[in-house]
Amino acid sequence: MGLSAPPRPRIRRRRQPELFINRELSWLEFNGRVLEEATDPTVPLLERLKFAIITANNMDEFFMVRVAGLKDAVEEGETAPDLAGLSPRQQLKAISERAHEMVERLDKTLVDEILPALGQHGIQITSMAALDPAQRVYLSRYFTAEVLPALTPLAIDLSRPFPKLSSLSLNLAVLLEPADGETEPRLAVVQVPGLQRLVRTVGGEGTTYVLLEELVRSELPALFPGQQVIESAVFRVSRDAALDLDDEGGGDYLEAIEDELRKRRRNQVVRVQVEAGVGEDLLKLLARRLQVTSRDVYRTRSPLDLRAFLQLVELPALEELREPVWKPLNTVVIGEPQRIFTILDQRDILLHHPYESFEPVVSFVSAAAEDPDVLAIKQTLYRTSGESPVVQALARAAENGKQVTVIVELMARFDEQSNIRWARSLEEAGAHVIFGVRGYKTHAKICLVVRRGAHGIQRYVHLGTGNYNDGTARVYTDFGLMTSDPAIGEDASAFFNALSGYSDPPRMKKLVMAPTNLRDRFLKLIERERRRAESGQAAEVRAKMNSLVDEEIIRALYDASRAGVRIRLNVRGICCLRPGLKGVSESIEVVSIVDRFLEHSRVYYFRNGGDEEVYLSSADMMPRNLDRRIELLIPVGAAERPKVMEALDAMFADNVKSRRLTPEGTYRRRKNLRGDAPVRAQQLIYRKTQEAAERARATAVTFEPITTPEAKASSS
Amino acid sequence: MAAPRKRTLPRKPRPTEPPPPAPPRETRPTAVVDMGASAIRLVVAEAQPGEPVRILEEASRGVLLGKDTFTHGRIGAATVEATLKALEGFRRIMDDYGVVRYRAVATSAVREAQNSDAFLDRVRLRTGLDVEVIDGSEENRLTYVAVRETLRDHPALVSGDALLVEVGGGSVDVSFLRKGQPIRSGTYAIGSIRLRQILASWQGSHEQGMRLLRRHIHNVVDDMRRDMPLREAQHFIALGGDVRFAAELLLGGKAMTAGPRVLPKEPFLAFCDHVTAFDVEQLLERYHLPQAEAETLVPALLAYRELLLETTAAEVTVPEVSLRDGLLLDMVQVEDAGGIADFSRQVLASAAALGEKYRYDAPHAKKVAQLAVRLFDDLRAEHGLTDRHRLLLEVAALLHDIGNYVNLRGHHKHTQYLLSVSEVFGLSQDDMAVVGNVARYHRRASPQKSHLPYMALDRETRVEVNKMAALLRLANALDADHLQKVKDVRVLREETDWILDVEGAGDMTMERLAATARSDFMTEVFGRRLTFREAGVRAWA
Repeated sequence: MGLSAPPRPRIRRRRQPELFINRELSWLEFNGRVLEEATDPTVPLLERLKFAIITANNMDEFFMVRVAGLKDAVEEGETAPDLAGLSPRQQLKAISERAHEMVERLDKTLVDEILPALGQHGIQITSMAALDPAQRVYLSRYFTAEVLPALTPLAIDLSRPFPKLSSLSLNLAVLLEPADGETEPRLAVVQVPGLQRLVRTVGGEGTTYVLLEELVRSELPALFPGQQVIESAVFRVSRDAALDLDDEGGGDYLEAIEDELRKRRRNQVVRVQVEAGVGEDLLKLLARRLQVTSRDVYRTRSPLDLRAFLQLVELPALEELREPVWKPLNTVVIGEPQRIFTILDQRDILLHHPYESFEPVVSFVSAAAEDPDVLAIKQTLYRTSGESPVVQALARAAENGKQVTVIVELMARFDEQSNIRWARSLEEAGAHVIFGVRGYKTHAKICLVVRRGAHGIQRYVHLGTGNYNDGTARVYTDFGLMTSDPAIGEDASAFFNALSGYSDPPRMKKLVMAPTNLRDRFLKLIERERRRAESGQAAEVRAKMNSLVDEEIIRALYDASRAGVRIRLNVRGICCLRPGLKGVSESIEVVSIVDRFLEHSRVYYFRNGGDEEVYLSSADMMPRNLDRRIELLIPVGAAERPKVMEALDAMFADNVKSRRLTPEGTYRRRKNLRGDAPVRAQQLIYRKTQEAAERARATAVTFEPITTPEAKASSS
Repeated sequence: MAAPRKRTLPRKPRPTEPPPPAPPRETRPTAVVDMGASAIRLVVAEAQPGEPVRILEEASRGVLLGKDTFTHGRIGAATVEATLKALEGFRRIMDDYGVVRYRAVATSAVREAQNSDAFLDRVRLRTGLDVEVIDGSEENRLTYVAVRETLRDHPALVSGDALLVEVGGGSVDVSFLRKGQPIRSGTYAIGSIRLRQILASWQGSHEQGMRLLRRHIHNVVDDMRRDMPLREAQHFIALGGDVRFAAELLLGGKAMTAGPRVLPKEPFLAFCDHVTAFDVEQLLERYHLPQAEAETLVPALLAYRELLLETTAAEVTVPEVSLRDGLLLDMVQVEDAGGIADFSRQVLASAAALGEKYRYDAPHAKKVAQLAVRLFDDLRAEHGLTDRHRLLLEVAALLHDIGNYVNLRGHHKHTQYLLSVSEVFGLSQDDMAVVGNVARYHRRASPQKSHLPYMALDRETRVEVNKMAALLRLANALDADHLQKVKDVRVLREETDWILDVEGAGDMTMERLAATARSDFMTEVFGRRLTFREAGVRAWA
């Protein structure tokens, strides 16, 4: 038996588009919420700038992936409607409308609010015209020395093909006087080189920057000697990336796409951004050459491509323009690294990142690497860099003669080279490296340590909702559970054996795995609540995830709602479920939180007639996670449950950064009644974590070792 | 019985060997590998002396060895490759735990494959694993070990008669237990994969196909009835994946308690009938079974069903054990007992049952066995044989006359023939070959180069047979009258001769004459002349 989802009976369902929200539009709404943070005057200025940059970056990816896919579908002649009843063409139209609104909003915020405000704090982004002569001379010298050698102006005429402009690069379109004996103006393109985009100039007050493209523009006459420049405009193209995006901030190449198709798709321009002042003639010419319609053109007053502005966000000064730093805390005092195993013999450790430091996870792996009693370490690695301390610890473990097995999921193809390098170095150290499982992405986050202990061989497991990536662990909210629970240990071994191809997928005791069982389990858990509600018991589902897209799950939630199950969902991103529909989803409430940390943890709670069950997972409720990924669902023990529930409750209590999904598919901030104390979930959780950290410091003296397993059982 | 072979793997060298600080418990991770007809399975366990075995890890890979062997007689290239891949993975898991002690066994699917030697050689070269092919009786013994452990105080093993049945892919293994002791056992070639193969080329309807299977099973059940008193079994213990699956479906979920699951007869029969109505496609869809399991389910359940109906049992007891558990327990017990798992009681009970089947003269057989063993013990220093030989001698002594059932003339030869086709619980076919030869030479000719069954043994074994046969011949002579007059016998060593100090009652002329005549072989083997002396009586001659 191979690793695969069980065969599913095909149930032909009546289409009910009115019950679902289109996933692309829902995603745009999510980006709209990020944009809201950029426009929010109560948010510190540099954080606003950061949200503006994120909004724009998100949009870039969205066009290169999702819009590109839809355009491709239209070209292929696909007309089948999605869950919400929209054909690809209809979706593109709706997306274009909403995206134009958002781009306008972002533009306005940047030009009218954020950039001027930065100016007031001494960070000027100015035009060449506003510079004094000394500054101009300085920049002109800089241009001649540094920029000019990197420029290749391309004149374009009918005999030459339009140059292949790379996706997301900045360019200047230049309209030149007609050549002698011709009537039509000529088009030329100058690619803005990949140099420092914000060019700092001397003098003036504070820090003054000029955008590189403006500097290039000011020198255009020098680039086209003897020719008259009529007009120029900065523009940027986005092409089909033939990628699939995921929630880990990376892209995967679509596996199913054949090479030819991929080549064709990659040539396709899906969006043109151009500065607002562009003349109609130039724009028409450009659009024709790039083969786009007016719907794909986005005019902006603000600088195109905001990525360069990230350096301003990270400027070391200007602390007052940023959120106060929330340093990751330690609520578990481990002391000697090896003591982590002694602690885990007594109790589980549940960590909530980034409120809590990722350090215990790193030390879990490094302690295992050095501990002479450790026999084997097995770990999944998804999207990790070679510099990761976890990777280095694994290499050390292998060098120390441990049996190390690593299941590596490589990043998108362009990163493969560097990935393969560190993966190979792991192999050279003696680790057994498995490069994924055919047909499935290994998305589960799990590390298993096998160790000789006082009572024979013991297993220690770390399971998480986020990757073993100390970088994202500072920005993404994730839960991690460390345990010595024997049943989970056995399941972990079975999991790795199945993935390594050493064994057929086993039945698990406590963990649940996708693609084999997770979908069924979710459906059963939801159905159990429904049955309880039908028999008159209080029934409740609470869940927190990044995306809710799966039709079968959504329908199960509707059925549960009809039976009276109270359902509260915290869905950060895409939500195709429509809450509050009469007779369908009246008892369903959906909130989304966008705040300084990216909400990333997945938590699933089922009331189960009072015998509550709480799970963590690497999986969202998306077909991708349930059918095409290897994922895990992790039960949380009674002792750690309150901590998870406290965080979940905070999400629903939030009235500052939380938005509620309306039946129409829009999001509204919660109206606060007078006298309502503001609750900001992330702040609340950080404060609680601070208290816990203080308690831990105060009580970090002794642990009473439990010497018999019976005592351990009764203490947990 | 086959001495379980203990094997060791070379340990992976450690580049740096840091001295261990605190003393973690010395663990003895042990592994067993079982190559069955439709899957290869691994169990890694920790066995602390005097503690229950603790399973650390289990792995399983579906490899259809049986399909190849039972269809084409040999294991095909693709299956060989799949096996090697599976075992390489298992080897890695074993290395993760630093396993050095293991036992890997293969059953009928490999045993019957024409290319089993080449196959196992490739396994050894690629994975370093030495796989031992075990026969049906060893399988029965190991399964019994596991069942005895889990059903220790269960009524099925404490009182009355029980039938222990495992329907595998290649064969059905059956043991008949009386008060928990196996007295009869047999291996019958109607495994579920074989049965499925019968249907492979079947063109008729599903119902007719099922009737065909039933008929096939009935024929074999008729044979079983001749081998053991099926009717007398009040308990029915069923092992195997297919019946476990039935138990899970009927009783819901996986067994949470350690105890066996009990299926009342009627619902079980109803379930069998219900499932029999489905073809493989329907089973796949209905129960989400892997292909291999969907194919074996119905034939296996039919076999259990027909056997259950042969007994008077009111329920089916399904313990959560397998051959692997038996292998593990056996390894642990062998270690605890200093090298030999003690099954002599079960072996002898089973031998006695075989004797009864051939209407042996029980008092005579038992007397000869007692005397043979007595002589064996007295002469340990001289013959240098082990406890295992002692057991084989005892079995040979018990059964030396069963050939009389065929014909008094040349009965020693008939004995050898009967033994070569019989099963004694816990004894392998190699063991039975030894027993047969020893029994054959209890009278008449001593071993000759022209005797084929004797020459089929290797040289070392022939020497052992000679010694045991010499002892048996003498012991048999000491009950020449079949009246059990001799109570005991001792061997007194004098300078050149041995004195047979016989303690008994009544006239022992017959015995004296016989002993004198039949001590020829003793003299030949041990180089000593024997003198018969009745205890308290002056030596004759």
